[in-house]
Amino acid sequence: MLDADVEVDRRSFAVRAALSVGAGERVALFGPSGAGKTTVLEAIAGLVPIRRGFVSLGSRSLDGVPPWRRRIGLLRQDPGLFPHLSVRDNLLYGASSDESLAPIAAELGIDGLLGAMPARLSGGQAHRVALGRLLLAHCDALLLDEPYSGLDAGLRRTLTGLVVSLVVERSVPAVLVAHELADAQAFADRLLVLDGGSVVQSGSPSSVVRRPASRRVASLVGYLGFVASDSGVAGVHPERVMAGAHPSRGLVLSGVVSALRPAGAGWEADLRVSDTVVTCRLPEQPPGTEIDVTVLDPPYFGPDGAAISPVSSERSRLDP
Amino acid sequence: MAPSGTVVPGQAQVRALPRAWSASAWLSVGGALVVWVALLGPVITLIAHLSWGTFWSSLSAPGALGPLVTSVESGLVTLVILVVCCTPLGYLMARGRLPFPRVWETGVLCSLLLPPLVIGLLLVFMVGPYTWIGSILNWFHQTATNTFLALVIAEVYESAPYYVLGAQAAFAGVEPRLEQQAALLGDPPRRVFRRVTLPLAAPGLAMSLAVAWARAMGAFGAVVIIAYHPTGIPLQIFTTLQETGLPSALPFALVLLVVALPLPLFAYLWSARAGRRRRG
Repeated sequence: MLDADVEVDRRSFAVRAALSVGAGERVALFGPSGAGKTTVLEAIAGLVPIRRGFVSLGSRSLDGVPPWRRRIGLLRQDPGLFPHLSVRDNLLYGASSDESLAPIAAELGIDGLLGAMPARLSGGQAHRVALGRLLLAHCDALLLDEPYSGLDAGLRRTLTGLVVSLVVERSVPAVLVAHELADAQAFADRLLVLDGGSVVQSGSPSSVVRRPASRRVASLVGYLGFVASDSGVAGVHPERVMAGAHPSRGLVLSGVVSALRPAGAGWEADLRVSDTVVTCRLPEQPPGTEIDVTVLDPPYFGPDGAAISPVSSERSRLDP
Repeated sequence: MAPSGTVVPGQAQVRALPRAWSASAWLSVGGALVVWVALLGPVITLIAHLSWGTFWSSLSAPGALGPLVTSVESGLVTLVILVVCCTPLGYLMARGRLPFPRVWETGVLCSLLLPPLVIGLLLVFMVGPYTWIGSILNWFHQTATNTFLALVIAEVYESAPYYVLGAQAAFAGVEPRLEQQAALLGDPPRRVFRRVTLPLAAPGLAMSLAVAWARAMGAFGAVVIIAYHPTGIPLQIFTTLQETGLPSALPFALVLLVVALPLPLFAYLWSARAGRRRRG
């Protein structure tokens, strides 16, 4: 179990975050660039001093413990392989013996690269070696700072899947920092949304996306439009919109299509509703410019931007 | 296969490229050769004008090799002092761990920019027998003028800025995140320095040390003021030139080159090999 409640001074603001990650659990710190996500990871790893708070791992308190005694592994976007050492020597850098080298190298698919130098490796291979190095060093917790954000989508999925299976198999707590929601969702059991140095919401990825705690969180998790209704301001997520008027499924909007472009297997339309524009993804090209769409079970927000409890019985209809 | 006379665009491009590359390559090689010959001009001239009879008679004269031994000994002591004292300075400057870093850098740059003759004059006022440092040395029956100690001091002052700035650049080239990664893998700072920082900075350090060695072996400006005795090779060349003329000085010039050059050449070859190994 990794427990942390840290407050770290940065130039413009203080970063404050509390998290508790069980063995084999995966938590994602999600937020915009500059929110302080990496600072939280570095504080847990002991790389930056904390103003107040604590970090503990299992029964060990890590207060005042230097990074080299924490046994916490950190993977960054740059795999950080030592360029003067071969893949084999990189893998064994923090290992106490080479007994596990062969099985881990085989599991990661890098057993044919042991004699190569890091400069010869592709991005995916280098990340596999970096992961293997942490596994051989027997880290008690795993921190991932957007490790695969520079890789193509397929490789990112493969490596994320690999990390997830290893975390579960070895029962180590893992924390991922991500500014792409899809990366956080693919990895985590639990999501912490960090904004301006503070955790503004936590919960399962689906609950955070379906029920954002505020308009700010909603815009961070992909809500691209907000329309006023009788129940408050409704958040419109482009992927939670269906064509046609279905009042029993959510909020019906009638609007004029102001822009239409292909997106993936369907279409993305900018819909002018009253004086606002909302973006929605539709499976088929709309037949005309004036259409009805239904926003499925949208979250509602009050004038202060905070979420209002879900309203299920009352539905509103907005006309252009 | 494309029939004869048929233009296949891909093949035409492939054939054209090596020709264009060859022309630019030949130009580059030709230009490099001109620069190389121009830079080596003095060495070629030295060998061309050297009379081998004079060479052997000059070097076989009684005491002729004494200055060579003095220079090598003082040069080696200088290198040890530089490695022990200036390597940490270069590291701390590279990592910005010194208070007022710009002041330290400016100090090193100033000593680099001072003409060696001026360094010699200033050293007399700093470590001469009538200064407080001179008085302390006197207590230990030492003096920092016209002694081996004075020669080493002059060589250290002439070569240290080159080594410090080179070491700073070499350490700055080591990514701090690699050191962090090594620490997270369980290495305390000293072991990180030994296993990661030093090996990665080593080629740059070796080149800096080679430059410092060449500066120390050829130190003349400060030496002629503060350490006229014991005579090192550069001073021997100067006195021979003044007393018996140019042809007699040339053998010692060749000896200086032969002694001073191998270490830089070895450092260069070793650095290049280390670079090749890293590239796999």
